[in-house]
Amino acid sequence: MKLPHQRLTRRLALGGLAATTLAAPARAQARPLKIGMITSLSGPFAALGESMRGGMRLLLTQSGERFADRPVELIVEDDQARPDDGVRKARKLIGQDRVDLLCGVIHSGVALALRDVVTEARMPTFLLGSANDLARRAASPFILRPTKTNWMLGSTAAQRTHQTHPGARVVTAASDYAAGREFVGDFATTYQGLGGRIGRQFWTPLGTPDFGPLLTAIAAERPDSVYVFFAGSDAVRFLRQWKEYRLAGRIRLMATGACFDQEDVLPAVGDAALGGINTFHQSPTAPSSAAFVEAWGATGKGLPGEFSTTGYVCGQVIRTATERSGGNPTDWPRTQQALFDAPVETAFGRMPFDPRNGQAILDIHVNEVRAVDGAMVNTVVYTFPQIRDPGPDA
Amino acid sequence: MPDALGYGAVQTLNALSFSALLLLNGLGLSVVLSLMNFVNLAHGSFFLLGSYVAIFWLGSGAPWWLAFPAAFLAAGLAGLLLDRFPFRRFYARPHLMQVLLTYGLSLIFADLMRWGIGAQILTPELPDMLKGVVFIGDMPFPIFRLFLIGAGTVLGLALWLLLDRTIWGAVLRAAVTDRGIVETLGIDTRRVFTVVLVLSAGLGGLSGALGAGMLAAYPGLDEEVLLLALVTVVVGGLGSFGGSVAGALVVGFTLTFSKVWLPEFANLAAFGALVLLLLVRPAGIVAPALRRL
Amino acid sequence: MIRVIAAAAVVALFADDYLLRFLAEILLFGVAVMSLDILIGFGGLMSLGHAALFGGAAYAAAIVARQWGGDLVLMLGTGMATGLVLAAVMGVVVLRSGQLFLLIMTLLLAQMLWEVAFHWRDVTGGADGLRGLPALSLGPWALSGARALFLVAVPLAVVAFLVARSFIAAPIGRALVGTREEPIRMTALGYSLFAVRFRAMMVAGAMAGAAGALLPFVNQYVGPQSVHWTLSATLVIMLVIGGIGSLWGGFIGSAVYLGIQTYLSAYTDRWQLLVGLVFVLTVLLLPNGVAGGVRRWRS
Repeated sequence: MKLPHQRLTRRLALGGLAATTLAAPARAQARPLKIGMITSLSGPFAALGESMRGGMRLLLTQSGERFADRPVELIVEDDQARPDDGVRKARKLIGQDRVDLLCGVIHSGVALALRDVVTEARMPTFLLGSANDLARRAASPFILRPTKTNWMLGSTAAQRTHQTHPGARVVTAASDYAAGREFVGDFATTYQGLGGRIGRQFWTPLGTPDFGPLLTAIAAERPDSVYVFFAGSDAVRFLRQWKEYRLAGRIRLMATGACFDQEDVLPAVGDAALGGINTFHQSPTAPSSAAFVEAWGATGKGLPGEFSTTGYVCGQVIRTATERSGGNPTDWPRTQQALFDAPVETAFGRMPFDPRNGQAILDIHVNEVRAVDGAMVNTVVYTFPQIRDPGPDA
Repeated sequence: MPDALGYGAVQTLNALSFSALLLLNGLGLSVVLSLMNFVNLAHGSFFLLGSYVAIFWLGSGAPWWLAFPAAFLAAGLAGLLLDRFPFRRFYARPHLMQVLLTYGLSLIFADLMRWGIGAQILTPELPDMLKGVVFIGDMPFPIFRLFLIGAGTVLGLALWLLLDRTIWGAVLRAAVTDRGIVETLGIDTRRVFTVVLVLSAGLGGLSGALGAGMLAAYPGLDEEVLLLALVTVVVGGLGSFGGSVAGALVVGFTLTFSKVWLPEFANLAAFGALVLLLLVRPAGIVAPALRRL
Repeated sequence: MIRVIAAAAVVALFADDYLLRFLAEILLFGVAVMSLDILIGFGGLMSLGHAALFGGAAYAAAIVARQWGGDLVLMLGTGMATGLVLAAVMGVVVLRSGQLFLLIMTLLLAQMLWEVAFHWRDVTGGADGLRGLPALSLGPWALSGARALFLVAVPLAVVAFLVARSFIAAPIGRALVGTREEPIRMTALGYSLFAVRFRAMMVAGAMAGAAGALLPFVNQYVGPQSVHWTLSATLVIMLVIGGIGSLWGGFIGSAVYLGIQTYLSAYTDRWQLLVGLVFVLTVLLLPNGVAGGVRRWRS
């Protein structure tokens, strides 16, 4: 991994000289802004972590490795999708590398484990990961969250199902762990609140090699629609076997966006994903992400998925935070206030932050997977504007 | 449940196809274990290598059925090289040292494959003739899975014939029982063992090629299939041929029907059942008469 | 021994918070590896489920701490009791099998515990794990902060080392080595293989449990990864690098592994390749690990 050069320019030297005599802000301008990123570069989320890092790097390159005229140094650490390793890395970034800001994280367990550590260290953190609790009981004054919560996707999926197919009997199937329980739970609660019928709920272990038994059971249920959450290799196997068992086309498939992730899943499943509906805060066809999609494509990587966009957006938010705080985002109360005062324009669209919990308010898109020039593309068919997590009220 | 019969039949076929995959996956491991008393935890790497070879082969437009021999040869070649160094020095060492060496190697191979191929999930483009589906009652069942069941049966039979019914198999079994005597007959047993390891690695690659259609391929799959293979072989009873078949069937049916009946506690129930089985039969289902423990 | 205490005192005085916490973590992992060494190195019992004892105790301590506070004595008691119970269950189930059967049985049992930890959301927090733990305390004194943690971990490691050494030197320890080398003769001599191995298992369980009890306080968190089989495999890697059959090698192994993982991964994505290479080279060149190499070089 290459670290961005520290440029010793005349400006920097002058800044250093000035720092001895002038006020504190001048010193802050001269010193590079150190950003620590924790993401999964090995383990089950390795591909996602590489995307997240790639998104962030792209933004840094576009910004000339400087935010608000201050040079930026990015240090990326691997958490292996294991909370204990993530926490150790965070402590290293805080204690030894002396970073100014922390960001990143894919695995919700890592995010929750980091919560107390960064709060105790009073470290400004742009924490990704999507467990509902991060916007609720685990919200922290030192954490801003420029990404979705699981509730945002689960509840909008229920609303959409109710809009298009009112009265449909929906069976659910999901990986049996925290995220799956949240997505399906929020879906079912919202859907039943709208008067919908929920049929059987299937749970499968994370990392299921064979979905045959589940698909046969779903086929025997004959529901109108199925709501699913699977991610990564589980999503790929599920969708391919969904088609192999001829359920594609017979039963309407609605999923969380991760199940049809543009980068991680769609290239591997091909037309098995065709026609799949999903709710997501990311879509390569969303107007707000057009510029990013083009820039990402120019690096030769195809269409971006959730985590490359998330990495990029996280960078955009940090850049805006640096600009609005006059180059010194570590002045946290001021930075936070500046982000609460006005929304940030990002590749996820207009992003205001909820002052109650630092959670982003996001547009949630309904994507349909369509064939565009032979490639599967998540195409926006509807948008729920500015969805806000119930936060502490939930 | 509108069609209980069809439902039951398809779930049984699901279990059979998964068992076939387990058998293919376990056979390679079982061959070296039973014939050479060598524990190869790098076996999952052969599987993943075979998957990748098959996926790239099928994507290249070459005749699809050649993908399987290609995967066999690629993994077999890897096995040949490993036999030269460092496996050969470990054939006579205790299991513990073999476990450590091969586990360490599997870490290296995992990272090398990720380095070369990347972390993304890949799936094979199956030929049209395997993409169809048959209906049992009115429940669909994919033809590809029938192909897996067939492949498992044919390969299992072929291997059994080779080891049990040919002169070569006899030499091999003799070399295991008394290496010295076989050497005095003018047979180079080192070469015999090399052939067994290449065969085992090739089987691993071949099963990876076949399994890719069901499991896809990505970093970490090597570890997952290795665990399944180990459980299969151990439950079956360390390496007797019938044991592997029995192990694959027991593990396949346990894992499938625990998902059908107790979906939320599927793994817990399945693991518990397997532990119980090993408690009742501490040497596996089919325990060979003579084993150095 | 005095040198060890003096060195620890110097470190405690001068190292920064991050380093102290890291060292404490190395020590706790070292104790767990040492307890695994009793099973693998001296008993020849190839366990791939040791994280169940280590992480199981961590869960128990975290759950108790959330309920009744993080008193050190209570934590150590809970951890050791949990370690003992889990080791007893594991021992009863697996110790009649040997070699690969034992490996698979320990693996299956440990994965069953993982399934429970992963799914029993009300008690274990499920996949998200448990956070929001109280600080460690001893009577009226709060032991929050890295320095206190380090000062708890050092005596724990020293005591565990002394216990392990005297266990190995005692007749029961020699008998354990005997059951590894000559099981048939040991039986003929009137030893019950099961009884000897079971006692080793209990000692290992108590040690791993004591170390595990403090693990949640390193990160103020415990999650299902701490009982997953991959952690068991990591403990085996640490053991091999440090040196099978050398008790203090466990600490070296955990230091080398955690060091590579923590410091190299910022510079290269290929750090796992490096861990693999170090591991394989150790097996090939230093079959008794770093500790064995040091001993050979000295003599």
